[in-house]
Parts: sequence; structure tokens; C-alpha cells
Amino acid sequence: MVCVSGLVLVLGLKPSVRHPLMIRFRNCVGNRPLALTGELYSNSFGESFSVQQFKYYVSAVRVGDGGDRGWAGEEGSEGVDRGHTDEGEGSEVILKEAHLVDEGDSSSLVLHLSTDLADVRTISFVVGVDSLANTGGVQGGDLDPMLGMFWTWNTGYIYARLEGESDSAHSPAHRFTWDIGGYKDPSNALRTVTLALGGARGDGARDDGAMGGEVIWITADVLKWFDGKSPVHLAGSPICHQPGALAMRIADNYSTMFSVTP
Amino acid sequence: MKSFLTIGCLLMVVAWMGAEGGTVPGLSVAGMSVAGKPVPMKLPVPAGWPAPQYDFKKNPLTKEGFLLGRKLFYETALSRDSTISCASCHQQFGAFATYEHPLSHGIDNTLTTRNAPALENLAWQKEFMWDGGINHLDLQPLAPLTAVNEMGETVAGVLHRLQRDTAYVRMFREVFGDTAINTQRMDRALSQYLVMLVSADSKYDRVMQGKDSFLLPERLGYAIFQQKCNSCHREPFFTDFSYRNTGMPLDNTLNDFGRMRITGDRRDSLKFKVPSLRNVAITHPYGHDGRFFSLLNVFEHYRKNMVVTPLTDSILQHRLPLSNFEIGQLTAFLNTLTDTAFLKNPLFAPEGYVITPVFVHRH
Ligand code: HEC
Ligand code: HEC
Repeated sequence: MVCVSGLVLVLGLKPSVRHPLMIRFRNCVGNRPLALTGELYSNSFGESFSVQQFKYYVSAVRVGDGGDRGWAGEEGSEGVDRGHTDEGEGSEVILKEAHLVDEGDSSSLVLHLSTDLADVRTISFVVGVDSLANTGGVQGGDLDPMLGMFWTWNTGYIYARLEGESDSAHSPAHRFTWDIGGYKDPSNALRTVTLALGGARGDGARDDGAMGGEVIWITADVLKWFDGKSPVHLAGSPICHQPGALAMRIADNYSTMFSVTP
Repeated sequence: MKSFLTIGCLLMVVAWMGAEGGTVPGLSVAGMSVAGKPVPMKLPVPAGWPAPQYDFKKNPLTKEGFLLGRKLFYETALSRDSTISCASCHQQFGAFATYEHPLSHGIDNTLTTRNAPALENLAWQKEFMWDGGINHLDLQPLAPLTAVNEMGETVAGVLHRLQRDTAYVRMFREVFGDTAINTQRMDRALSQYLVMLVSADSKYDRVMQGKDSFLLPERLGYAIFQQKCNSCHREPFFTDFSYRNTGMPLDNTLNDFGRMRITGDRRDSLKFKVPSLRNVAITHPYGHDGRFFSLLNVFEHYRKNMVVTPLTDSILQHRLPLSNFEIGQLTAFLNTLTDTAFLKNPLFAPEGYVITPVFVHRH
């Protein structure tokens, strides 16, 4: 199939066959796998903690073939680029809607998508939910407010949640809750993440999956929430329950937590 | 159900006859649904009012949708122990505020932290709650449903209960085409009921339409109102939908800073939404926490008791001087904002219920 579509591309025609593309999320804490069963971890400040909930929305997933510097360089400009309709040759949005990655639900860790691109070299996505969904009333699917990733008293989605216990957190029951969201400036917590994939398809560095479909493994490291860009201590900030400066800092931090693993 | 629909439709037309001279757009359609298709309905838009804010394209009004929303509004099964419905706190005879309660009673002997506002003309409102924290009417029910001091339920719990009730399964199918009962459908049905709560048939409205005339004190009161109150309580909604600090000092048991909680901006400290004054004669107590028991208390606040700070609204930096005479005339005018047809409209009451308003005041 790879060979056929390669031929089509050479002939300058649009490939009629879509390539299956699987994205798998692997959540970890440093070099240990994440478990929601009370394991103790420690952040770079030596604060020990356990994790009970770890969830985040991924939306506007876009893949590129590497010749698409234009959009890849837009990172950090501002969230989802709605006006961007000229798909160009080099990139394609393969998932528009928000998908909730929930460590507590293994089926949410896999996305079955497909692309026109024969060779995917970059992947980008937004962590969060675009402002239209934040202002458009009650949504369904992964955005159903029933799932709890939603503030009912101050309308808006919670883009990402890290919740657990830590002796360093001087909050009731030593529980810490970091609910991050916000769609209005200057507290817009949407973050775009762009990752480069390894070598070309089939050169051994990339996992081509079982059925010829490609698999992209994305690792998310919880530790980055504390110090990805600037330090946020559990002792000082055990609770984040609304958009604002703290949510912005934690969003900056977790925007660095993703990496592609071969 | 069919015959009820027809009766409901008749009552509806009768109820709005006064307001619209018998021509209520969309409501004169006979109440027969054609083979499974819900009957479209139109929002009655009073003459001279702007277009509504609510997006009806996503949630087209139908008779069946309205009736489902009404059933949900009066449904105690929406609360954890099946004791409280929306209507427990939003009573029709009190213009859908909680009659004579500064704060409302939630589940398990709890109290809300704010005064339940009247529910009226919601289709024209963009933001909800005293602090404007909710940006869409469809989302509003989720707040009381899940608040521990209101209905104390989970959305999943409520949906589960509705899904097991054959009457609801049938009604959801009538409205939405299949039997799925989910958050979006439940909230859209509730909105269909809520947007229909249009109050525009008070004496004031009839005077404006040239169908009635003010008594002398009412006329004088109207002139004072236009001069001293209209910049915030703007006609025809009697609110400009803005958030203002009116110099009400912080209650240190509630610690409610209003709009600041939503925007995080210090300058929004103690700002609250300008409430509509339609039906104000019966929505006492007043203020976001119900601290004013009568209109007289409100007037005393404006002219004497305000605590003016630099954050107090610029219009009120010197308080709001009012003479006793002006207060008398203003009160007469505010009484003309009572819409008895709205308070008694059987269409808004639960099925089969006969309303006897505590306050019947035909002018
Ligand atoms: C326990 C009492 C209580 C219950 C039950 C309750 N409400 Fe309310 N409602 C309130 C209070 C108090 C407010 C004002 C809250 C605020 O501003 O923070 C309010 C506000 C509202 C508003 C906003 C009005 C405006 O002008 O901003 C709407 C709409 C509303 N409620 C609808 C409902 C619906 C629909 C239900 C049922 C699902 C419901 N309420 C159940 C007490 C209640
Ligand atoms: C600067 C804007 C402003 C002006 C001018 C103003 N109001 Fe208000 N009014 C408000 C706001 C804001 C509230 C809600 C205050 C709160 O509870 O925090 C309010 C509340 C009220 C209430 C209580 C209503 C309720 O349902 O709780 C009444 C009655 C009222 N105003 C009447 C008047 C009258 C009469 C005048 C003119 C003499 C007037 N107001 C002038 C902004 C204003």
C-alpha cells in the first residue's frame, strides 16, 4: 500500500487511499510508568506525591510531511488556528474535535485516525478545547459536561487535570487538584504542541504497526507539570480551580510534557 | 396528551390575547403533531424589542420540546433525594424567584449563597447568574443540578433516572426523534421552557403601546426613573445587562465578591449584574444576597447607606439622592411593571395545576 500511494504521489495525483495512523498515549512520571493506585513519586523539588486522576484534552491534531515549516512555526501564536483553511500539500488536520485522554480509561489512550500523507514527519495538536466549544452551549461526546472536565459556575472546559495526594500539600486531606483551563484573554490556557517524528517510514526507526498502519507513540511526563518552564510547588499551590495566572503557568509547564518515542 | 396539547394551545392563545391582540406568532398553530414530527413554535417577540440572543438554529422551539422542558423544570427527580425541583426555588407566583426568601433552600438543609433572581426574558440574556459566570442558557441547569447546596446530584445520576422513566423516554423521542437521553438534550429541552418565560404584558407595556395610561404618580415616577435609574435599569428589559458596584458592603459570612470571581480582575470587586426590575413588586427580598427586604430598604441604600469606594460605579459616586416624594412616585411606577398574566399563565405551570397567585394585582 505504501508502494502504491508512493507511485500515485510520483504521478502527481491525490492518493485515493488513506493511510491508517494510530496515536498511542503513554503517561509516565519521569522514567516510571504512571499508575493511579497510590504509588509514590517525587518531583524535582523532592515533594512526594501520588496521582489519582490524570486527564487532558487533545484537539486539532495535525500531521505534516516535514516540508511544512509555515504552520509548524506558528507554535505559541494562539491556540487553534481556525482561519487556516489552505491545507497545503504538506499538512493535514486529521482530528478536529477534542479527544479526552484519561489515564483511568485505557481505551482513551488510543486514537485510530488516517491521513492522506504518505510520510508523516511532524505532529501537532492543541492541549485543550477551542473557544467555540467553550461558548456554544452543551456539547456531546468527549465534551459532555457530564464527564466533569467542565466548570459549571464559570463556564469553560477544564483542559487538563492532575489530582492526587501529597504530604507537601497543606490543603484538606493533603489533596492537591490542578484543574487547568481558560479560553478568554489574558487567561487563555490553550497550548499548541508540535513534535518531530524520527526517521522516514520503514527505515526501522519507526513502528509501522501490525496492519501496515503507522503508530505514533506520544509520551506525556507528569513531572513536567511542576517545572516544564517555571517551578510550581505543591507546597505553595496545591489548588488550581479557575483560569488565571497559576493556570497559565501550569499550562506552560505541561505544554513541554510531550515527546514522541520510537 | 393530544387533547392536552390542544387545550394548552388554546390557553396559551387566550393568555397572550391581551398582549398581542390575539396574534401570537407561532402559537396559533393547532396542537396536532403530524406523524412523529414535533410541532414548531415561535418565541413571542414583543413589539419594539431587539432580536433574541438565544441561538434557535441549534435548538428549534417545538411544542413537544417546551412541554418536556416544563416537565423537567417541575421534576423533583433532578435532585439527589427527589425533594427539590427547579420550581422549588423558581416559583411562578414570585416571577420565578424564590418568594419572600433572601436565600433559597437546597438539599439537606443547605442554603444558597445568593438570592434567586426572577426568570424572565431569558432569551435576550447573554450571560447568567449574578456574576455572569455562565455564558449560555443551556449550561445554566448544570450549576444547580450539581451544586451541593442546591440539588446535590450528578448529571450522570439524573440522566440515569430519566432513562428509566418510560414517560421521559417517550417524550425525548417525540422531541428529538430517538430515545437517547443525554446532557445536551436535557438542557436544550429545559431551555425551550425557559426562553418562553416572556414577561411583556405589564401596565407599563400597555401604556407604551398606547393601550392604557399612567395615573399621575406613575407618570411622575416614570419621569424620575428615566432620569435616575434608566442608565442601568434600561428599558425595555429594565437592565442593560452590565455588572456594577452599587456600594453594597461585603457580607463577611458570604464573602461574595461577585464579578471578580469570574474575571479575576480586582476592579470587578463587588460588581453584580444589574437585575431587571420587571415584576419587581413581587420579587422581594432584593439584592444579590437578598439583604433588602423591601423597596424602601433599596431606596434607603441608594440615598443614604451606600458605602462609596473608588470602585463604586461612577454614576453613584455621590450616592443617589432621592426625596421622600420621589420615592413615593418611583414606587408607584415600579408597581406598573407587574405582569399578572405572566404570573398566572397556565402554560408555565405544571400540567394540571391551577395557579392562585399570592399577589394578584390588575391595574
Ligand atoms: C436551591 C435553589 C435553586 C434551584 C433548585 C435552582 N435554582 Fe436557578 N437559581 C438559584 C439562585 C440562587 C440563582 C442565582 C445564582 C447566582 O447568581 O449565583 C439561580 C439562577 C438561575 C438562572 C439565571 C438567571 C439570571 O438571570 O441570571 C437560571 C436561568 C436558573 N437559575 C434556572 C434554573 C433551572 C433550570 C433549575 C433546575 C435545573 C434551577 N435554576 C434550579 C436557585 C436555584
Ligand atoms: C449604576 C447603576 C444603577 C443605577 C443608576 C440604579 N441601579 Fe438599581 N441596581 C443596580 C445593580 C447593579 C443592582 C444589583 C445590586 C446587587 O445586588 O449587588 C441594582 C438593584 C436594584 C434593585 C433590587 C432588584 C432585585 O431584584 O434585587 C432595585 C429595586 C433597584 N436597583 C432599583 C433602582 C432604582 C429605582 C433606581 C433609580 C432610583 C436604581 N435602581 C438605579 C444598578 C443601578
